[in-house]
Amino acid sequence: MSAKVLVLAGDGVNCEVETAKAFEAHGGSAHIMQLNELISAPQKLAEHDILALPGGFSYGDEIHSGQVYALKLKKHLFKEMQEFIKKDKLILGVCNGFQILVKLGFLPSPLEERSATLAGNRDGAFIDRWEELQTWDSVCVWTKNLPASLFMPARHGEGKLVFAGDEKRQKQIYQKLKDNKQIVFTYTNDINGSYGQIAGLTDPSGRVLGLMPHPEAALDEELNPFNSATPSNMIFANAINHSNQINKTKEGLL
Amino acid sequence: MNIYRFDIFPLSFVSKKTLEARINNYSPVKAQDVCASKTYWLETKKELSQEELAFIGKEILTDPVIEDFSISPDKNQSLDFEQAIQVSFKPGVQDNRANSVKKALELFFPKENFTAYSGDLYFLKGDLSKADLKRLATEFLSNSLLHNISCFLKDEFIQDRFKDLKTPKVEARAQEVEVVDFTQSLEKLNELNQQRVWALSLEELKVIQDHYTEPKTTSARKKAGLCANPTDVEVEIIAQTWSEHCKHKIFAAHIEYKEVAHPYAQVADKMVEGIYKNYIKKSTREIKQERGYDWLISVFSDNAGIVRFDDNIDLCIKVETHNSPSALDPYGGALTGILGVNRDILGTGMGAKPIANMDVFCFAHESILQKTKLPKGLLHPKRILEGVHRGVEDGGNKSGIPTVNGSIFFDDQYVGKPLVYVGTVGAMPQSTKHYPKTSEKNYRAGDRVVMVGGRIGKDGIHGATFSSMELNENAPATAVQIGDPFTQKKVTDFMLKARDLGLYSGVTDNGAGGLSSSIGEMAQISGGAIIDLALAPVKYEGLSPYELMISESQERMSFAVPREKARDFIQLAASMEVEATDLGEFTQDGQLKIYFKENLVADLNMEFLHEGLPPMKLKAKFDPLNNPHVPWHKNSARKTLEGGVNNWLKELLQRPNIRSKEDLVRQYDHEVLAASAIKPFTGKTQSGPSDAGVIALKNHGGSGYVAIGNGNQPLYSHFDPYLMALHSVDEAVRNVVASGGDPDKLVLLDNFCWPDPLPGKNNPDAEHKLAGLVRANEALYKICKIYGAPLVSGKDSMKNDFSGADEHGNPVKISVPPTLLATSMAKVQSKKHLTTTNFKRAGDWIYLLGKIENKKYLFSEFARLFDVDAQVNNIQDDELKIIRQRYQDLHSAVKEGLIQSCHDISEGGLISAVCECCFGDKLGADLQIDSHETALLVNEGLGLLVVSVKEKDQKAFETKFSSDCALIGKTKKEYQLGFSDEVQVELEDMFNAWRGQS
Repeated sequence: MSAKVLVLAGDGVNCEVETAKAFEAHGGSAHIMQLNELISAPQKLAEHDILALPGGFSYGDEIHSGQVYALKLKKHLFKEMQEFIKKDKLILGVCNGFQILVKLGFLPSPLEERSATLAGNRDGAFIDRWEELQTWDSVCVWTKNLPASLFMPARHGEGKLVFAGDEKRQKQIYQKLKDNKQIVFTYTNDINGSYGQIAGLTDPSGRVLGLMPHPEAALDEELNPFNSATPSNMIFANAINHSNQINKTKEGLL
Repeated sequence: MNIYRFDIFPLSFVSKKTLEARINNYSPVKAQDVCASKTYWLETKKELSQEELAFIGKEILTDPVIEDFSISPDKNQSLDFEQAIQVSFKPGVQDNRANSVKKALELFFPKENFTAYSGDLYFLKGDLSKADLKRLATEFLSNSLLHNISCFLKDEFIQDRFKDLKTPKVEARAQEVEVVDFTQSLEKLNELNQQRVWALSLEELKVIQDHYTEPKTTSARKKAGLCANPTDVEVEIIAQTWSEHCKHKIFAAHIEYKEVAHPYAQVADKMVEGIYKNYIKKSTREIKQERGYDWLISVFSDNAGIVRFDDNIDLCIKVETHNSPSALDPYGGALTGILGVNRDILGTGMGAKPIANMDVFCFAHESILQKTKLPKGLLHPKRILEGVHRGVEDGGNKSGIPTVNGSIFFDDQYVGKPLVYVGTVGAMPQSTKHYPKTSEKNYRAGDRVVMVGGRIGKDGIHGATFSSMELNENAPATAVQIGDPFTQKKVTDFMLKARDLGLYSGVTDNGAGGLSSSIGEMAQISGGAIIDLALAPVKYEGLSPYELMISESQERMSFAVPREKARDFIQLAASMEVEATDLGEFTQDGQLKIYFKENLVADLNMEFLHEGLPPMKLKAKFDPLNNPHVPWHKNSARKTLEGGVNNWLKELLQRPNIRSKEDLVRQYDHEVLAASAIKPFTGKTQSGPSDAGVIALKNHGGSGYVAIGNGNQPLYSHFDPYLMALHSVDEAVRNVVASGGDPDKLVLLDNFCWPDPLPGKNNPDAEHKLAGLVRANEALYKICKIYGAPLVSGKDSMKNDFSGADEHGNPVKISVPPTLLATSMAKVQSKKHLTTTNFKRAGDWIYLLGKIENKKYLFSEFARLFDVDAQVNNIQDDELKIIRQRYQDLHSAVKEGLIQSCHDISEGGLISAVCECCFGDKLGADLQIDSHETALLVNEGLGLLVVSVKEKDQKAFETKFSSDCALIGKTKKEYQLGFSDEVQVELEDMFNAWRGQS
């Protein structure tokens, strides 16, 4: 049985199609579902192995990016999402999805007071440019065996990772993420003022990945401005493999 | 009612560079002294407890990691500021942020009814007086048509801002339906006409008068229980339907064309019985017949043209203008423009999904202020650029549609009215389970009329008629509105789902003219409609029936829904939080019947409404020698040309029309949907400019690619609009062919933006401008026929003039040059055909395709910068035929893999094009051209391209092009441009100049 992926859509999300295709290209069975549909039948979440929150402009990015969408998840699906993670399942948040996971408190570390946010880019402008990312040695299951550096399009207006508190506290938060191996990607160039040039984070379990750049848009050579390899594919392949492995083990236990 | 105010305080003073673009011309304040934030007002019957207030403040309205909030004056804020500016909306203005707040509040207080309002706060530092603040607020941070402002010193802000809390609630009283006395004199009627912004002409008033006094009409009306005179609802519907914006009267007019001896292309004196019919439609019809194009699925009949480049999907394309609204509020105007053209695509056939946006702007450059003062009532050119750019950015990005192609053209003549072209490409399956042909609407009498999307307010009332008028200082505020991309995205999601479920039988967008246009047009197919306006959901109370009918409140679509599917349709909408309202039914009795509750408020004969207006009769006379172009300001001094290429090239590359727009373009998401194969900038540096945007169709259900380009060469109109049209169309075609597009699978769109060509007191050269329109269409017909490029859609905007007064109170009129934007879309067969502009490696040959005039200077950007004697060349038909052959040869060379890179030669000539080819991959070139052959290096013209070819392909390439190509150099590793006289230009310097960084 192939890994089942739930891709959330609606409420201003707009990368659901390419995100679903990315999982399907690696053997996943992806299901695009409107958030309202999931809210009306929350048990459906547990039927899936992977939850993807794609990029977009949920609620028009009003108040703050991801703010209202995160409140909606908090109100209706918080418990289900926590259960989901506990069961060794995976969550991906790209761009707006990352912002939502951070505002929801799932990243960088759930069950703690919010220590980070994604704020407006340093220059105040949206940017769309392919950026080089450095892959860190992390606990993240999504990014196993990824090359040391790779390119993806960064496309965001609010991608500056900011930590809470004064300078000292910020440093502590950063150090803890480093020690926990939760830093997944950094930008080679300081494109938005993000703390430590961080582009992507995982939770302590390594199963929740949030990143600002768009791996789902970096899968085809023809979309790559350098006509070079497309290692972003491995991110989706890793997730599908992980889920298949878990399912196999479960079946074995049965 | 309780009103609660929440102010959001950033924990630290954060300034943003982007604010510079808005305020940097205002010297007392620098961007680093401004910190932007937000404020909210919530109005509710509920008495909120301290806990509830704290919850709303902390959880909903702030990001606690970076912000704090305040709900009372005593709270001590850590933020270090000295002054504050508050910008809030006037009553009735679309407030998207507040709507999201309302949604969030509904999550946690489902039983309470909240009204939310939002505003912007700016905290400032520095030595600023109240007067400074006021100027900053009025001129840069707000628009008096939309906003109220308050300026505070810090202590005032702390203390005063909670005094007399008020919200910008709309307080309006609906007017009773009024009967308009059409038996009174035409002069009296015309006064009323002007008061009510109907924008009807005297002739049109007379046609209406005749219709309502005709015995046939009066007896029919008597039978229906109506009085003989029309109601205000009826007159408003007629005015909308007959507006230049909706009816395109000038393109339907009968024109007597004459010309006096002149040096340009000869066009015989003739009667043109409709430009649209006799040039635009005719060329497409003939091309389709002569060339047997069976892939033109629908042209000129729907909201967008539909073409078939693929086995599974059809593509549709449409370009609109939103000039007048953008002049009044650049942000809102551009935003509603792009969302509006998206809806055109949604409303084509049974509905298409928007897959790409494009935008072309014509603006005055800010440097105009060094030459002259602006007449009163005009916005600063920089403000127009900043606002329009932000509007297009939000419109595309927030809708998840990539902005893949565009350009910005600068000329002083656009200071009175900016041109804002916005376009969209859509994809639809050729058939679905429920629709055998998705390209065709299929509804009939008995189907329900259902309005979907945003609610109706007073916004955009008279937009259609207003845009058919000249801009002046007293333009109505209701003509300005702000779009809501979030609501439209939800409507899009809903609609595509409903389409795939087969829940409706027809759809169209609500654009100019509101329900009056959408229902009026749809009713033409069934043969009539009957609706009750009282059922329409409103933003607030107090709308009169005629306002409900013609309001242009955004984000609405009108559907025809079979009776048996209406319940499912409305339920699906509700489950997706989209509002859908059954307003009535399509009929076939030939009447458009509008009720307000039980009262019949309009009963219009459809034939009269749509066919009752006889074509205008107009005169056109082309006499360019006696009607020269007169710029409205006299200061257009050019620089003296001194020194060699190292002296002048940098200045040329810095010209606003040549320099890179990358800084602006990168703020558009150009690759959402993961299909942008050729992006606006190309090469390893991601900074080489592309000729066209190319989209892969794989993710959209198709195969292969489609290239989208544009051509816009308005300044040739100063000589002859015929030349202008040829240059614009050729450039559009060239851009897509250069990117790998098939010249035999290529379509065009025509968007005319003209200065008023109708005779009038204030318009002595109307006949000349109309003659220009005829000539532009003569050229358009000719080049489309020769190139085999059918026109599939188009639009015209015929009042691009501003009348006002200069600083001394003297009347001044500023008109745009006659401008034709050509948009092109071509099929790119395979991945191998994708061709980009950047040189790929050192050691490739560089060729010029076509011949450049080298004996004399031609009219060009170079000649507008430097004081050289420049001429224009007429273009003969034979030359167009040679160019057409060149494009076919080029495409065949692309298919054979002979072309490594290809770039069109446009503004800045050959030398600028070669530099741009170098910028993409940071390569250099040695040209076999003497650096003093300036004319050859800078002249511009039709059909010119620069390509690079692998050394080994030299023979195959030269055999294919023979005398139509010239070997002009070789690429090299060193980042320099070398000439045959051993002059070298450092390309790093040129790159920085071109990027505006030196």
